Amino acid sequence: MIRIAPFLAVLFLMSAGVARADSPGHVPEPAGLWQGALHGYTPNTVAGAVVVDTAALEKLVADKKPVLIDVASADKKPENMPATALWFPNHRSVPGAVWMPGAGSGTSDKTFATAFERRIADLTGGDKTKAIVAFCHPECWGSWNAAKRLAGLGYTAVYWYPEGMERWQAAHETAVVKADSEWTASMSGGGER
Amino acid sequence: MKILGKVSVVALGILVSSGPLRADDQSEREARWKDIETSLFGARVVQNGDGVIALDAPVRADDASLVPMGITLSAKQPVKSLYLVIDDNPAPVAAHYTFGPAADPREIKMRVRVNTYTNVHVVAELADGTLLETEKFVKASGGCSAPMGMSDEEAMKGMGEMRVKFAGDATPSKPVDATLMVRHPNFNGMQMNQLTRMYTPARYIQTIAVSDGPQKVFDLETGISLASNPVINFAFVPTGKGQLKVDVTDSENSHWEKTVPVPTLSN
Repeated sequence: MIRIAPFLAVLFLMSAGVARADSPGHVPEPAGLWQGALHGYTPNTVAGAVVVDTAALEKLVADKKPVLIDVASADKKPENMPATALWFPNHRSVPGAVWMPGAGSGTSDKTFATAFERRIADLTGGDKTKAIVAFCHPECWGSWNAAKRLAGLGYTAVYWYPEGMERWQAAHETAVVKADSEWTASMSGGGER
Repeated sequence: MKILGKVSVVALGILVSSGPLRADDQSEREARWKDIETSLFGARVVQNGDGVIALDAPVRADDASLVPMGITLSAKQPVKSLYLVIDDNPAPVAAHYTFGPAADPREIKMRVRVNTYTNVHVVAELADGTLLETEKFVKASGGCSAPMGMSDEEAMKGMGEMRVKFAGDATPSKPVDATLMVRHPNFNGMQMNQLTRMYTPARYIQTIAVSDGPQKVFDLETGISLASNPVINFAFVPTGKGQLKVDVTDSENSHWEKTVPVPTLSN
Protein backbone atom coordinates (compact mmCIF):
# COMPACT_ATOMS: atom_id res chain seq x y z
CA MET A 1 0.00 0.00 0.00
CA ILE A 2 2.64 2.44 1.04
CA ARG A 3 4.62 1.76 -2.12
CA ILE A 4 1.65 1.78 -4.48
CA ALA A 5 0.14 5.11 -3.44
CA PRO A 6 3.03 7.33 -4.58
CA PHE A 7 3.22 5.37 -7.83
CA LEU A 8 -0.46 6.04 -8.47
CA ALA A 9 0.01 9.68 -7.60
CA VAL A 10 2.84 9.98 -10.13
CA LEU A 11 0.73 8.22 -12.75
CA PHE A 12 -2.14 10.57 -12.04
CA LEU A 13 0.09 13.64 -12.30
CA MET A 14 1.58 12.38 -15.55
CA SER A 15 -1.74 11.73 -17.17
CA ALA A 16 -3.06 15.07 -15.96
CA GLY A 17 0.06 16.73 -17.34
CA VAL A 18 -0.36 15.12 -20.76
CA ALA A 19 -4.00 16.11 -20.96
CA ARG A 20 -3.21 19.70 -20.02
CA ALA A 21 -0.37 20.11 -22.50
CA ASP A 22 -2.55 19.12 -25.41
CA SER A 23 -5.64 21.09 -24.49
CA PRO A 24 -6.47 24.63 -25.57
CA GLY A 25 -4.75 27.22 -23.41
CA HIS A 26 -2.21 24.78 -22.00
CA VAL A 27 0.23 24.26 -24.82
CA PRO A 28 3.82 25.06 -23.84
CA GLU A 29 5.97 27.13 -26.19
CA PRO A 30 8.51 24.98 -27.99
CA ALA A 31 12.09 26.30 -27.76
CA GLY A 32 12.42 26.64 -31.51
CA LEU A 33 10.14 26.53 -34.53
CA TRP A 34 7.29 24.02 -34.42
CA GLN A 35 8.00 21.28 -36.90
CA GLY A 36 4.98 19.10 -36.20
CA ALA A 37 1.60 19.27 -37.91
CA LEU A 38 0.60 22.88 -38.50
CA HIS A 39 -3.01 22.29 -37.54
CA GLY A 40 -3.48 21.98 -33.79
CA TYR A 41 -3.74 23.81 -30.48
CA THR A 42 -1.12 26.51 -30.12
CA PRO A 43 0.56 28.20 -27.13
CA ASN A 44 -0.94 31.38 -25.69
CA THR A 45 2.26 33.29 -26.34
CA VAL A 46 5.26 33.47 -28.62
CA ALA A 47 8.53 34.77 -27.20
CA GLY A 48 9.59 38.03 -28.83
CA ALA A 49 6.12 38.88 -30.14
CA VAL A 50 2.99 40.52 -28.77
CA VAL A 51 -0.25 38.57 -29.06
CA VAL A 52 -3.14 40.65 -30.43
CA ASP A 53 -6.85 39.92 -30.54
CA THR A 54 -9.20 41.33 -33.16
CA ALA A 55 -9.81 44.62 -31.34
CA ALA A 56 -6.07 45.14 -30.81
CA LEU A 57 -5.33 44.32 -34.46
CA GLU A 58 -7.96 46.81 -35.57
CA LYS A 59 -6.25 49.52 -33.51
CA LEU A 60 -2.81 48.45 -34.68
CA VAL A 61 -3.86 48.64 -38.33
CA ALA A 62 -5.27 52.12 -37.79
CA ASP A 63 -2.34 53.45 -35.74
CA LYS A 64 0.78 51.80 -37.10
CA LYS A 65 -0.04 50.58 -40.60
CA PRO A 66 1.77 47.31 -39.96
CA VAL A 67 2.92 44.86 -42.57
CA LEU A 68 0.31 42.08 -42.45
CA ILE A 69 1.62 38.63 -43.29
CA ASP A 70 -0.93 35.91 -44.01
CA VAL A 71 0.79 32.51 -44.01
CA ALA A 72 -2.29 30.35 -44.67
CA SER A 73 -1.69 27.43 -47.03
CA ALA A 74 -3.14 27.50 -50.52
CA ASP A 75 -6.11 25.22 -51.21
CA LYS A 76 -4.93 21.91 -52.57
CA LYS A 77 -6.74 20.69 -55.65
CA PRO A 78 -8.18 17.25 -54.91
CA GLU A 79 -7.06 14.40 -57.17
CA ASN A 80 -9.25 13.11 -59.97
CA MET A 81 -11.40 16.19 -60.41
CA PRO A 82 -13.17 15.92 -63.78
CA ALA A 83 -11.74 18.29 -66.37
CA THR A 84 -15.14 19.93 -66.67
CA ALA A 85 -15.45 20.66 -62.93
CA LEU A 86 -14.65 24.20 -61.86
CA TRP A 87 -11.52 24.53 -59.67
CA PHE A 88 -11.37 28.19 -58.74
CA PRO A 89 -9.73 28.84 -55.36
CA ASN A 90 -10.20 32.27 -53.88
CA HIS A 91 -8.18 33.43 -50.90
CA ARG A 92 -9.76 35.97 -48.58
CA SER A 93 -7.67 37.83 -46.07
CA VAL A 94 -7.41 40.96 -43.97
CA PRO A 95 -7.44 43.86 -46.45
CA GLY A 96 -3.90 44.93 -47.27
CA ALA A 97 -2.32 41.65 -46.21
CA VAL A 98 0.53 40.02 -48.10
CA TRP A 99 -0.31 36.36 -48.60
CA MET A 100 2.76 34.14 -48.37
CA PRO A 101 1.35 30.62 -48.61
CA GLY A 102 3.46 28.10 -46.75
CA ALA A 103 5.56 30.78 -44.98
CA GLY A 104 4.51 29.33 -41.63
CA SER A 105 6.54 26.19 -42.15
CA GLY A 106 8.81 25.24 -39.26
CA THR A 107 11.42 23.84 -41.64
CA SER A 108 15.10 24.38 -40.86
CA ASP A 109 15.81 24.51 -44.61
CA LYS A 110 18.33 27.31 -45.36
CA THR A 111 16.81 28.27 -48.73
CA PHE A 112 13.44 28.72 -47.07
CA ALA A 113 14.92 30.79 -44.24
CA THR A 114 16.78 33.03 -46.68
CA ALA A 115 13.73 33.52 -48.90
CA PHE A 116 11.62 34.42 -45.87
CA GLU A 117 14.21 36.83 -44.54
CA ARG A 118 14.62 38.58 -47.92
CA ARG A 119 10.93 38.96 -48.60
CA ILE A 120 10.27 40.38 -45.14
CA ALA A 121 13.22 42.77 -45.51
CA ASP A 122 11.64 44.01 -48.78
CA LEU A 123 8.23 44.41 -47.22
CA THR A 124 9.51 46.34 -44.22
CA GLY A 125 11.96 48.39 -46.26
CA GLY A 126 14.72 46.97 -44.07
CA ASP A 127 13.26 48.67 -41.00
CA LYS A 128 13.56 46.24 -38.09
CA THR A 129 11.31 48.40 -35.94
CA LYS A 130 8.44 48.27 -38.46
CA ALA A 131 5.29 46.73 -36.97
CA ILE A 132 4.59 43.35 -38.53
CA VAL A 133 1.70 40.97 -37.90
CA ALA A 134 1.65 37.22 -38.60
CA PHE A 135 -1.66 35.36 -38.93
CA CYS A 136 -3.43 32.50 -40.67
CA HIS A 137 -6.30 30.49 -39.17
CA PRO A 138 -7.25 29.69 -35.58
CA GLU A 139 -5.38 26.71 -34.15
CA CYS A 140 -2.66 26.98 -36.74
CA TRP A 141 1.02 26.82 -35.91
CA GLY A 142 1.92 28.51 -39.18
CA SER A 143 1.46 32.04 -37.89
CA TRP A 144 3.11 31.10 -34.59
CA ASN A 145 6.17 29.93 -36.53
CA ALA A 146 6.18 33.06 -38.68
CA ALA A 147 6.07 35.30 -35.59
CA LYS A 148 8.85 33.22 -34.03
CA ARG A 149 10.98 33.56 -37.17
CA LEU A 150 10.40 37.31 -37.32
CA ALA A 151 11.46 37.75 -33.69
CA GLY A 152 14.52 35.58 -34.42
CA LEU A 153 15.43 37.84 -37.34
CA GLY A 154 15.60 40.78 -34.95
CA TYR A 155 12.29 42.49 -35.74
CA THR A 156 11.29 44.36 -32.61
CA ALA A 157 7.59 45.04 -33.24
CA VAL A 158 6.28 41.58 -34.06
CA TYR A 159 2.62 40.79 -33.45
CA TRP A 160 0.89 37.43 -33.57
CA TYR A 161 -2.84 37.34 -34.37
CA PRO A 162 -3.87 33.76 -33.53
CA GLU A 163 -7.59 34.33 -34.14
CA GLY A 164 -6.82 34.59 -37.84
CA MET A 165 -9.05 35.25 -40.80
CA GLU A 166 -12.04 33.39 -39.35
CA ARG A 167 -12.34 35.81 -36.45
CA TRP A 168 -11.46 38.85 -38.51
CA GLN A 169 -14.26 38.21 -40.99
CA ALA A 170 -16.82 37.94 -38.20
CA ALA A 171 -16.55 41.68 -37.68
CA HIS A 172 -14.82 43.10 -40.76
CA GLU A 173 -14.73 43.10 -44.49
CA THR A 174 -12.21 40.84 -46.13
CA ALA A 175 -10.32 41.18 -49.38
CA VAL A 176 -9.45 38.67 -52.05
CA VAL A 177 -5.67 38.46 -52.25
CA LYS A 178 -3.42 36.70 -54.70
CA ALA A 179 -0.41 34.80 -53.41
CA ASP A 180 2.59 37.12 -53.17
CA SER A 181 4.36 36.54 -56.49
CA GLU A 182 7.86 37.25 -55.23
CA TRP A 183 7.37 34.79 -52.39
CA THR A 184 5.94 32.04 -54.57
CA ALA A 185 8.72 32.59 -57.14
CA SER A 186 11.36 32.16 -54.43
CA MET A 187 9.56 29.06 -53.16
CA SER A 188 9.03 27.43 -56.55
CA GLY A 189 11.81 24.98 -55.76
CA GLY A 190 9.31 23.11 -53.63
CA GLY A 191 9.62 24.85 -50.26
CA GLU A 192 5.89 25.12 -49.75
CA ARG A 193 4.30 22.78 -47.28
CA MET B 1 -33.03 47.51 -66.41
CA LYS B 2 -32.11 45.09 -63.69
CA ILE B 3 -29.01 43.91 -65.55
CA LEU B 4 -27.85 47.41 -66.40
CA GLY B 5 -28.16 48.37 -62.77
CA LYS B 6 -26.02 45.45 -61.71
CA VAL B 7 -23.25 46.20 -64.18
CA SER B 8 -22.96 49.80 -63.07
CA VAL B 9 -22.75 48.71 -59.43
CA VAL B 10 -19.86 46.43 -60.34
CA ALA B 11 -18.12 49.20 -62.27
CA LEU B 12 -18.51 51.58 -59.34
CA GLY B 13 -17.18 48.90 -57.02
CA ILE B 14 -13.98 48.55 -59.02
CA LEU B 15 -13.34 52.28 -58.73
CA VAL B 16 -13.90 52.23 -54.99
CA SER B 17 -11.76 49.17 -54.35
CA SER B 18 -8.73 50.66 -56.07
CA GLY B 19 -7.88 52.43 -52.81
CA PRO B 20 -4.86 51.00 -51.02
CA LEU B 21 -6.43 49.45 -47.93
CA ARG B 22 -10.21 49.79 -48.24
CA ALA B 23 -11.08 46.81 -50.32
CA ASP B 24 -14.70 46.88 -51.30
CA ASP B 25 -15.94 43.54 -50.09
CA GLN B 26 -19.26 43.81 -51.90
CA SER B 27 -17.84 44.59 -55.32
CA GLU B 28 -15.26 41.83 -55.00
CA ARG B 29 -17.99 39.36 -54.21
CA GLU B 30 -19.95 40.50 -57.25
CA ALA B 31 -16.85 40.27 -59.42
CA ARG B 32 -16.24 36.75 -58.16
CA TRP B 33 -19.76 35.72 -59.09
CA LYS B 34 -19.36 37.31 -62.54
CA ASP B 35 -16.23 35.19 -63.08
CA ILE B 36 -18.00 32.01 -62.02
CA GLU B 37 -21.04 32.90 -64.11
CA THR B 38 -18.86 33.40 -67.17
CA SER B 39 -17.08 30.07 -66.65
CA LEU B 40 -20.39 28.26 -66.35
CA PHE B 41 -22.61 30.08 -68.81
CA GLY B 42 -20.30 32.03 -71.09
CA ALA B 43 -21.98 35.08 -72.52
CA ARG B 44 -25.50 33.92 -71.67
CA VAL B 45 -27.47 36.35 -69.56
CA VAL B 46 -28.53 35.21 -66.10
CA GLN B 47 -31.64 37.02 -64.94
CA ASN B 48 -32.87 37.72 -61.47
CA GLY B 49 -34.98 34.76 -60.45
CA ASP B 50 -36.43 36.08 -57.21
CA GLY B 51 -40.03 34.97 -57.03
CA VAL B 52 -39.30 31.85 -59.07
CA ILE B 53 -36.35 30.41 -57.18
CA ALA B 54 -36.04 30.58 -53.41
CA LEU B 55 -32.95 29.56 -51.50
CA ASP B 56 -33.38 28.71 -47.87
CA ALA B 57 -29.95 28.83 -46.22
CA PRO B 58 -28.93 29.79 -42.70
CA VAL B 59 -27.58 33.34 -42.26
CA ARG B 60 -25.05 31.88 -39.84
CA ALA B 61 -24.25 28.17 -39.76
CA ASP B 62 -22.92 26.58 -36.59
CA ASP B 63 -21.50 23.59 -38.39
CA ALA B 64 -19.82 24.72 -41.59
CA SER B 65 -19.31 21.15 -42.74
CA LEU B 66 -23.04 20.49 -42.71
CA VAL B 67 -24.85 23.56 -43.96
CA PRO B 68 -28.43 22.84 -45.04
CA MET B 69 -29.54 24.28 -48.37
CA GLY B 70 -33.18 24.23 -49.41
CA ILE B 71 -34.11 25.20 -52.96
CA THR B 72 -37.68 25.73 -54.07
CA LEU B 73 -38.69 26.37 -57.65
CA SER B 74 -41.97 27.61 -58.97
CA ALA B 75 -41.25 28.06 -62.67
CA LYS B 76 -44.19 27.95 -65.08
CA GLN B 77 -42.17 25.97 -67.61
CA PRO B 78 -40.12 22.83 -66.96
CA VAL B 79 -36.72 23.22 -65.31
CA LYS B 80 -33.90 21.63 -67.29
CA SER B 81 -31.10 21.96 -64.78
CA LEU B 82 -30.11 23.53 -61.51
CA TYR B 83 -26.79 24.78 -60.13
CA LEU B 84 -25.93 25.29 -56.46
CA VAL B 85 -22.81 27.43 -56.24
CA ILE B 86 -20.85 28.26 -53.07
CA ASP B 87 -18.98 31.25 -54.51
CA ASP B 88 -15.94 31.24 -52.26
CA ASN B 89 -15.40 27.51 -52.04
CA PRO B 90 -12.36 26.42 -54.07
CA ALA B 91 -14.62 24.13 -56.13
CA PRO B 92 -17.65 26.44 -56.20
CA VAL B 93 -20.18 24.22 -57.96
CA ALA B 94 -21.54 22.10 -55.13
CA ALA B 95 -24.26 20.58 -57.26
CA HIS B 96 -25.41 20.55 -60.85
CA TYR B 97 -28.68 18.70 -61.35
CA THR B 98 -29.94 17.79 -64.80
CA PHE B 99 -33.57 16.81 -64.54
CA GLY B 100 -35.25 14.06 -66.50
CA PRO B 101 -38.91 13.44 -67.40
CA ALA B 102 -39.68 11.81 -64.02
CA ALA B 103 -38.37 14.78 -62.04
CA ASP B 104 -40.47 17.13 -60.02
CA PRO B 105 -37.98 19.88 -59.23
CA ARG B 106 -40.19 21.91 -56.91
CA GLU B 107 -37.98 21.34 -53.92
CA ILE B 108 -34.46 20.03 -53.40
CA LYS B 109 -32.63 19.91 -50.11
CA MET B 110 -29.05 18.96 -49.45
CA ARG B 111 -26.17 19.70 -47.09
CA VAL B 112 -22.91 21.29 -48.13
CA ARG B 113 -19.55 22.45 -46.82
CA VAL B 114 -18.85 26.15 -46.62
CA ASN B 115 -15.21 27.25 -46.45
CA THR B 116 -15.56 30.93 -45.63
CA TYR B 117 -18.22 33.66 -45.43
CA THR B 118 -19.65 33.56 -48.90
CA ASN B 119 -22.48 34.24 -51.27
CA VAL B 120 -24.40 31.16 -52.32
CA HIS B 121 -26.08 31.21 -55.72
CA VAL B 122 -28.73 29.04 -57.24
CA VAL B 123 -29.20 29.14 -61.00
CA ALA B 124 -32.09 27.38 -62.70
CA GLU B 125 -32.06 26.72 -66.42
CA LEU B 126 -35.55 26.52 -67.87
CA ALA B 127 -36.65 24.46 -70.86
CA ASP B 128 -36.36 27.44 -73.23
CA GLY B 129 -32.79 28.16 -72.05
CA THR B 130 -33.68 31.04 -69.74
CA LEU B 131 -31.28 31.27 -66.79
CA LEU B 132 -32.60 32.54 -63.47
CA GLU B 133 -30.59 33.17 -60.33
CA THR B 134 -31.00 33.95 -56.68
CA GLU B 135 -28.43 34.53 -53.94
CA LYS B 136 -27.92 34.43 -50.16
CA PHE B 137 -24.97 35.40 -47.98
CA VAL B 138 -23.96 32.66 -45.56
CA LYS B 139 -21.71 33.15 -42.56
CA ALA B 140 -19.91 29.89 -41.95
CA SER B 141 -16.26 28.98 -42.11
CA GLY B 142 -13.88 26.09 -41.94
CA GLY B 143 -16.28 23.55 -43.42
CA CYS B 144 -13.74 22.33 -45.91
CA SER B 145 -11.10 21.48 -43.32
CA ALA B 146 -13.41 20.22 -40.59
CA PRO B 147 -12.31 16.73 -39.61
CA MET B 148 -14.91 14.02 -39.21
CA GLY B 149 -13.78 13.23 -35.66
CA MET B 150 -13.12 9.55 -36.26
CA SER B 151 -10.54 7.39 -37.99
CA ASP B 152 -10.58 7.27 -41.78
CA GLU B 153 -11.40 3.57 -41.65
CA GLU B 154 -14.37 4.26 -39.44
CA ALA B 155 -15.51 7.10 -41.71
CA MET B 156 -15.32 4.81 -44.73
CA LYS B 157 -17.19 1.94 -43.11
CA GLY B 158 -20.16 0.92 -45.19
CA MET B 159 -19.17 3.33 -47.96
CA GLY B 160 -21.73 3.29 -50.73
CA GLU B 161 -24.59 2.01 -48.60
CA MET B 162 -27.81 3.78 -49.47
CA ARG B 163 -31.27 4.25 -48.12
CA VAL B 164 -34.27 5.76 -49.80
CA LYS B 165 -37.29 6.91 -47.86
CA PHE B 166 -40.60 7.90 -49.38
CA ALA B 167 -43.10 10.25 -47.84
CA GLY B 168 -46.17 8.06 -48.05
CA ASP B 169 -47.38 5.88 -50.89
CA ALA B 170 -47.10 6.81 -54.53
CA THR B 171 -49.91 7.34 -56.96
CA PRO B 172 -48.89 7.24 -60.64
CA SER B 173 -48.42 10.73 -62.10
CA LYS B 174 -48.66 12.38 -58.67
CA PRO B 175 -45.38 13.71 -57.20
CA VAL B 176 -43.80 11.86 -54.30
CA ASP B 177 -41.22 13.26 -51.88
CA ALA B 178 -38.18 11.09 -51.39
CA THR B 179 -35.04 11.22 -49.26
CA LEU B 180 -31.83 9.64 -50.46
CA MET B 181 -29.11 8.89 -47.91
CA VAL B 182 -25.68 7.76 -49.08
CA ARG B 183 -22.95 6.63 -46.72
CA HIS B 184 -19.71 8.19 -47.96
CA PRO B 185 -17.13 10.31 -46.11
CA ASN B 186 -16.69 12.57 -49.15
CA PHE B 187 -13.11 13.36 -48.12
CA ASN B 188 -12.01 16.57 -49.80
CA GLY B 189 -8.27 16.27 -49.21
CA MET B 190 -8.25 19.28 -46.86
CA GLN B 191 -9.25 17.47 -43.69
CA MET B 192 -6.60 16.45 -41.22
CA ASN B 193 -6.95 13.14 -39.47
CA GLN B 194 -6.87 14.01 -35.78
CA LEU B 195 -5.06 10.80 -34.87
CA THR B 196 -2.35 10.58 -37.53
CA ARG B 197 -2.12 14.35 -38.11
CA MET B 198 -1.92 13.62 -41.83
CA TYR B 199 -4.27 14.93 -44.49
CA THR B 200 -6.80 12.32 -45.48
CA PRO B 201 -6.54 11.79 -49.25
CA ALA B 202 -9.44 13.16 -51.24
CA ARG B 203 -12.17 10.69 -52.09
CA TYR B 204 -15.49 12.17 -52.99
CA ILE B 205 -18.74 11.50 -54.79
CA GLN B 206 -18.80 12.76 -58.36
CA THR B 207 -22.16 11.67 -59.72
CA ILE B 208 -25.51 10.51 -58.39
CA ALA B 209 -28.09 9.36 -60.93
CA VAL B 210 -31.68 8.58 -59.98
CA SER B 211 -34.21 6.93 -62.31
CA ASP B 212 -37.74 5.72 -61.93
CA GLY B 213 -37.89 2.66 -64.13
CA PRO B 214 -36.75 3.78 -67.59
CA GLN B 215 -37.38 7.46 -66.77
CA LYS B 216 -34.62 9.69 -65.46
CA VAL B 217 -35.34 11.69 -62.31
CA PHE B 218 -32.02 13.52 -62.22
CA ASP B 219 -28.30 13.30 -62.89
CA LEU B 220 -26.31 15.10 -60.22
CA GLU B 221 -22.73 16.20 -60.74
CA THR B 222 -21.16 17.07 -57.42
CA GLY B 223 -17.81 17.09 -55.66
CA ILE B 224 -15.92 18.15 -52.56
CA SER B 225 -18.45 20.78 -51.45
CA LEU B 226 -21.00 18.06 -50.74
CA ALA B 227 -21.19 17.20 -47.03
CA SER B 228 -20.08 13.78 -45.87
CA ASN B 229 -22.81 11.14 -45.71
CA PRO B 230 -24.98 13.17 -48.07
CA VAL B 231 -28.73 13.39 -47.62
CA ILE B 232 -30.73 14.66 -50.59
CA ASN B 233 -34.42 15.42 -50.51
CA PHE B 234 -36.14 15.52 -53.87
CA ALA B 235 -39.46 14.73 -55.51
CA PHE B 236 -40.36 12.69 -58.55
CA VAL B 237 -43.41 11.64 -60.48
CA PRO B 238 -43.68 7.85 -60.40
CA THR B 239 -44.43 6.08 -63.65
CA GLY B 240 -46.21 3.27 -61.87
CA LYS B 241 -43.48 0.74 -62.64
CA GLY B 242 -42.48 1.00 -59.01
CA GLN B 243 -38.66 0.79 -59.15
CA LEU B 244 -36.40 3.66 -58.16
CA LYS B 245 -32.76 3.14 -59.08
CA VAL B 246 -29.83 5.10 -57.68
CA ASP B 247 -26.29 5.03 -59.13
CA VAL B 248 -23.39 6.65 -57.30
CA THR B 249 -19.79 7.03 -58.50
CA ASP B 250 -16.85 8.53 -56.65
CA SER B 251 -13.44 9.95 -57.52
CA GLU B 252 -11.79 6.54 -57.14
CA ASN B 253 -14.16 5.21 -59.79
CA SER B 254 -16.10 3.15 -57.31
CA HIS B 255 -19.68 2.57 -58.34
CA TRP B 256 -22.62 1.65 -56.18
CA GLU B 257 -26.22 1.14 -57.14
CA LYS B 258 -29.43 0.38 -55.40
CA THR B 259 -32.91 -0.33 -56.64
CA VAL B 260 -35.80 0.11 -54.28
CA PRO B 261 -39.49 -0.55 -54.77
CA VAL B 262 -41.63 2.56 -54.75
CA PRO B 263 -44.50 1.87 -52.36
CA THR B 264 -47.66 2.30 -54.41
CA LEU B 265 -51.23 2.66 -53.32
CA SER B 266 -53.08 -0.56 -54.01
CA ASN B 267 -56.19 0.00 -56.12
